[in-house]
Amino acid sequence: MSSMTVRPHADSQAAARLRDHFPGAADLLHTHRRQFMRVMAASLALGGLAGCNDDDTRDDIVPPVQQSQGQAPGETLTYASATLMDGFANGVRVTTRDGRPLKIEGNPQHPWSQGGTDVFGQASVLGLYDPFRSQTVTHLTRDSDWPTFRGAMVGRLAALRASGGAGLAILLGPVTSPTLAAQIAQQQGVWPKMRVYSAGGVTREAVYEGTQRAFGQALETHYDFSGVRVAVCLDGDLLDAGPHQVGTARRWAAARRKAAAQGGLLTLFAAGPVPNLTSAKADHAICASPALIDTMARALLAQAGGGQAPALPPQAEAWCAAVWAALDGARGAGVVQAGVHASPAVQECVHRLNAALGNTGRTVLHTDPVLIRGQDLRILVADVDRGDVHSLLILGANPVYESPGDVNFAALLGKVSLCIHAGMIVDETAQSVDWHLPMAHPLESWGDARSVDGTASLIQPTIAPLYDGKTASEILSLLFEQEPRSALEILRAHWAGLGDAGWRAAQLSGVLAGGGLRPYDVQPTNAPLAQAAPRAAGFELLFRPDPTVWDGAWADNAWLQELPKPLTKITWENVVGLSPATAAALNVANGDHVVLRVGAQDVEGPVWVIAGQDDGVVSVTLGYGRRVEGQLSAGLGFDAYRLRRLSDPWGVAGVAVHRTGRTQDLACTQSHTTMEGHDFIRVQTMGAAPVGDGDRAAPTLYAAQEGDGRAWGMVIDLDACIGCNACITACQAENNIAVVGRDAVLQGREMQWLRVDVYADARAEAAHGGGEDAAVVAPVRFQPVPCMQCEQAPCEVGCPVEATLHDHEGLNLMVYNRCIGTRACSGYCPYKVRRFNWTDYSAGAAPSMVEQRNPDVTVRARGVMEKCTYCVQRIVQARIVSDRDDTPIADGAVITACQGACPTGAIVFGDLARKDSAVARAHADPRRYALLGELNTRPRTTYLAAQAPALAQRG
Amino acid sequence: MRQLFAPGADAILRLALFVVAAGSVMMLVVAGAVANSDYVSMVGIAPAQPVPFSHKHHSGELGLDCRYCHATVETEATAGMPPTYTCMTCHSQIWTGAPMLAPVRDSLASHTPLAWTRVNRLPDYVYFNHAIHVSKGIGCSSCHGDMTAMQMTMRAQSFHMDFCLQCHRNPAANVRPIGEVLNMTWQAPPDQMARGRALVAQYHIRGAAVLTDCSTCHR
Repeated sequence: MSSMTVRPHADSQAAARLRDHFPGAADLLHTHRRQFMRVMAASLALGGLAGCNDDDTRDDIVPPVQQSQGQAPGETLTYASATLMDGFANGVRVTTRDGRPLKIEGNPQHPWSQGGTDVFGQASVLGLYDPFRSQTVTHLTRDSDWPTFRGAMVGRLAALRASGGAGLAILLGPVTSPTLAAQIAQQQGVWPKMRVYSAGGVTREAVYEGTQRAFGQALETHYDFSGVRVAVCLDGDLLDAGPHQVGTARRWAAARRKAAAQGGLLTLFAAGPVPNLTSAKADHAICASPALIDTMARALLAQAGGGQAPALPPQAEAWCAAVWAALDGARGAGVVQAGVHASPAVQECVHRLNAALGNTGRTVLHTDPVLIRGQDLRILVADVDRGDVHSLLILGANPVYESPGDVNFAALLGKVSLCIHAGMIVDETAQSVDWHLPMAHPLESWGDARSVDGTASLIQPTIAPLYDGKTASEILSLLFEQEPRSALEILRAHWAGLGDAGWRAAQLSGVLAGGGLRPYDVQPTNAPLAQAAPRAAGFELLFRPDPTVWDGAWADNAWLQELPKPLTKITWENVVGLSPATAAALNVANGDHVVLRVGAQDVEGPVWVIAGQDDGVVSVTLGYGRRVEGQLSAGLGFDAYRLRRLSDPWGVAGVAVHRTGRTQDLACTQSHTTMEGHDFIRVQTMGAAPVGDGDRAAPTLYAAQEGDGRAWGMVIDLDACIGCNACITACQAENNIAVVGRDAVLQGREMQWLRVDVYADARAEAAHGGGEDAAVVAPVRFQPVPCMQCEQAPCEVGCPVEATLHDHEGLNLMVYNRCIGTRACSGYCPYKVRRFNWTDYSAGAAPSMVEQRNPDVTVRARGVMEKCTYCVQRIVQARIVSDRDDTPIADGAVITACQGACPTGAIVFGDLARKDSAVARAHADPRRYALLGELNTRPRTTYLAAQAPALAQRG
Repeated sequence: MRQLFAPGADAILRLALFVVAAGSVMMLVVAGAVANSDYVSMVGIAPAQPVPFSHKHHSGELGLDCRYCHATVETEATAGMPPTYTCMTCHSQIWTGAPMLAPVRDSLASHTPLAWTRVNRLPDYVYFNHAIHVSKGIGCSSCHGDMTAMQMTMRAQSFHMDFCLQCHRNPAANVRPIGEVLNMTWQAPPDQMARGRALVAQYHIRGAAVLTDCSTCHR
C-alpha cells in the first residue's frame, strides 16, 4: 500500500462516525485532490480573518467561589487509585490538574503493579471523558431517572420477598471487588433463592477448571519470579495483555535482569498455535497445534512422573527434551504456565508438572479465586430457557454481544419479564433490556478491587461523576437497601476494620492493608488425567482476546483502536490470521476476504498472514463487529463471537474457510518486518563478544553542541521490552496526540510520536535456515522508536525557519509556533519519527474530550510538524523547581511518560552528564548501541541489545 | 510620425515608480506601527470587569499585600485569582450593602464563580511561570506596571516576544533584590547593571544563551 496517495474514500459509515468523534480528522475523508486544494485555499483565506478574532474562552478568568483545601490553581495533585482490567486491579496514581484527571502513572508502592501500567489503564482516562458514555437512566429506551427506577423496583422486590427471591438473578461481568462480593453474599442471605451468574468475553473458566482438576479446587495462580531460572509456556500468555500483564511482566523482567547480571539467562520457552508477546519474547519458541500442545504437556508430565511419554513429532520432541532438561535442572526454580485460552487439560498438566517439579508453593503461588464467580453462562442459558429467571440484573456485562454464536441472548431476554442492565456505555445489551442504568467510571467512583495476586486495592474518585452514573455497589444498595448508601459509605463500612489511620494509609498507598489473599499450599489430587479429546478434521478456529480492544469492552476507546496491534501493527480492525503455508494453499494474501463458516453461522473478514502460526489453525480476535449505531466501534472489523460455541470458548474445530474474491486495504503501520541485513536490532548472545558500540565515536566535521552541564538521554533495553505498547498510549495521553482515524492511518498519517517497531530476528532466521525447521519460531524483536534526539540532528539542517533546533541540555526541540510545515525535517530524519499534522486533527473535539488535554503541552494545529520532545514539559517543570529552590535535579526526578508507563522498566531516562545517574550506568552497558549509528547522528536515545542463549543451545 | 511619449513621460514614470516603491515601504511601516500600537496590543486599555475592582485602592491606598489575593505567585506557574471567599473576608464586614459589590455577593449566594475579563494574555504556546520569576528577583511591576496606581486594571506591556526576550537576553538589567519584588514603584538605581550582575550571580540565574533556549518558554 502506498502511503502517499490521496484517494477518494467510500466507507461513509465509518466516515460519519469519525466525524462525530473527531470532526477535525474527518474533514478530508471524502476529498479529491482538486477539492482538497479548494478547501485549503478557502481555509487559508479564512485563517487570516480568524487571526483577528480574539473571542475565545480564554478571555475570562473564572476563580472558584471557594478554593478547595490543599488545591492550588494549576497545581498537579496525584491520587493513589486502581485501574480495572477485566475487573482486576492495577495499582496506579492518577494525576489531576484543577480537578480534572489527566494521566495515569504507575504506583511503585503497589505490591502487584510495582509502578507499571498497561495500555488499558493508560487509555482509561480517555474513556472517562467519552461523550458517548451512557448518561441517563433509560426505561424502554426513554429517558428516566434514578428515583423513578427505585420507585418501580421497590414494589416489585417486595412481591418477591415471600418466595425468597426465586426467579431473581444477577449476572455479573468480570468483577473482583471484595465489597461487592460481601454485598452480594449479604443479599443472598436475604434472598436465599436469588441466583448469581457471571459472564465475560474473556472467560477464566478454563483456568479455574484446570486447578479444579489438578488440586480439587478452583484457584488463582500467580508467579514469584525472584528465584526463577527457567519459564515454560504451553499455549501461554505470560507476557500478553490481560489482568496479569503488568505485575507478571515486571517480575519476569526483573528476574531476567538479575540473571543477566549474574551471567545467566532466565530462559523462556514457549509453545503455542498463535504467536503472541510471550512466544515473541521466548528464547526457544515452537508453534504447535492445540492438540500437539496437549500431547506435549502430557509428555512433560509423564517425564516428571517417570512414566511413558507419548510419541511426538521430531521438532516437538527436541523442544520438549530441551524444556525437560531445563526444568529438571531448575527444580523449584522454574515456572510452567498456560494461558487463559489454554484448554483445561493443558492447565491441569501444567499444574501437576509444577507440583511434581517442586515449583508449586515456591515460584507458582495459588490463592483463592480473585474473580467473583457466579454460575457459568451455560447454566444461565439453561435456567432462562426453562423460565426459571423472571427478573435479571446485568451488572457491567454485555452478554448480548459477548455470548457465543449458538446462544441468542437477545431472544433469551424475551423470556425474562424484567431485565435491568447497568453499564458504562449503551451497548448491545443496553438496547435489549427494560431498564438501562449508567455506571460510573472507575476514575469518578469509590470502590475496591483485587489484583491477580489478591492484593486489595482502593479505587478513589478523582472527579465528581461527569454524568449520572453510579457504581455497582451503589446500584445494589439502591435496589436492596432501605436507605440507599453512597459508594463511600458502603466501602468504609466494609473496611471498617482499617480504622481511620488505616483508611488514611490506604488513601495514600492505594492498598487496603490486610485485605489481600494469602497464597497457601495445595497438593495435587490423585485423579488420573482425562484422555485427550479426539479432534475433528478441518481447520481449527482459535479465538484470542484482542491485544488492544480486549473482548470488546475497550472498543469505544479511540486511543486503543488506533493503537497498532503489537505483532501485526494493524489498527482499527481485526483480521483472520493464517499461517503462510495455509494462506498459500487457500490462494489468499493480506487483505483478501475470506468467509469462516461454523455450522450455520459465518463471518467475513480480511486475511493477515502470520508467520509462526500453526498451519492447521485460523486465528481471530474478539471485540470487533460491534452493532451499536453512533458508537465509535460500530461497524469496525467482524464479530468473531458469532462463531464461538458455548461448549468451548477458545476453539472450534472443523471451520470452513472460503475466499470471497473481495479484498481491502488494512490500516497497518509497519508493512515491512525484516531488517534486510541491517542491524536495527542487535542481539547479544550469552558469552559472546559485546555487540554494543562501546566508546567508539566516529569523527565529525560539525562543531559540538555547546551544553550547560546537563545532557538528557534515554536508554531502551530491548531485552526487557515486551512490545506491550503501554509507552505509546502513555505518550498519547501526556502529549495531547490526536487520533487520526482509519483512513488517515491507511495514508500513513498516524500521529503517535512513539512507535514500537517489530522485526523477525534475522540471526535466528539464518541459523534455522527457514525451511526444514518450520515449527521453530524465530524470536520477534520489539524496538520502541521515539525521537532519537540526535546531537548532530539532520532535521535541524533541513528546517528553513529554525523551528527545530537544539537547546543547551541537548534536547532537539520542536517549536510549533515557528513551524511553517515544509516537512523538510521529516524528509531529513533517518529515523522517521516526525509526524505532520495534516488536517487539524485536534480541532472540533467534543468539549468533554478537550478536558483531558495536558495544559502543559501545546495542542498542535494543522500544518505543523510534531515529534517526541522527551516530555520537555516535565523537564522544564523539574528545572523550574530546581532553579527556584536552588537544588540540583535529582536523578529520577524527571520521568518521561513512556518510561513511567513501561511495565518492565525497559526505558531509562536521565542526565547522561551525571556519572551516577541510572541512564549513565545503562549507557555504559556493553550491550548499548545506537540505531543507524553509522550515520553519525549521535543519537541521545540508544538501545541495549536483546539477549539470546548461545547458538549451540538453540538446538 | 508623432512621438509616442511626450517629453514629460519619463518624469511621470519615475514619479510613479517612486510612489510605488515609497508606498510599499510606507505600507510596511504603517502595518508595523499598527501591529505594535497600543490599540492592537491593548496596552493601557482597561476592559470592563464584573466588579470595578481598583488595585489603586486596595493595594495602593489600603496596602493589601499582592499575595493576599494572588496567593500562588511564589509557588505555581499562575499567580492565582482570588476566590469569592477571599473578597468576602472583608466585604462580609465592610461595604456589605454596596451596590458595586452586588455581583460578589450574588456569586457567594448562588455559588457561581465571578468571570473576570482577562487583561494579561499570552498565546497558547507560551508557558510563563510566575514562581520562578518572582523567586529570582523579577518584580511584579516589571511586567504589570505600577498596579498601585491603576484604578482599573490594564495591560502595562505588549507581551510581544521581544518584550520577554529583552530581559531573557540581559537579565541583569531588570533583576532586583528579592525584598523589592513586590515594590510597585521600584526604579532601577543608576548602577543597576553592576548590581544586577551581582544579583544574577547570587541567584544563580543562568546565562542569556540558556534563557533564550526555545524550550524555556515553548513546549
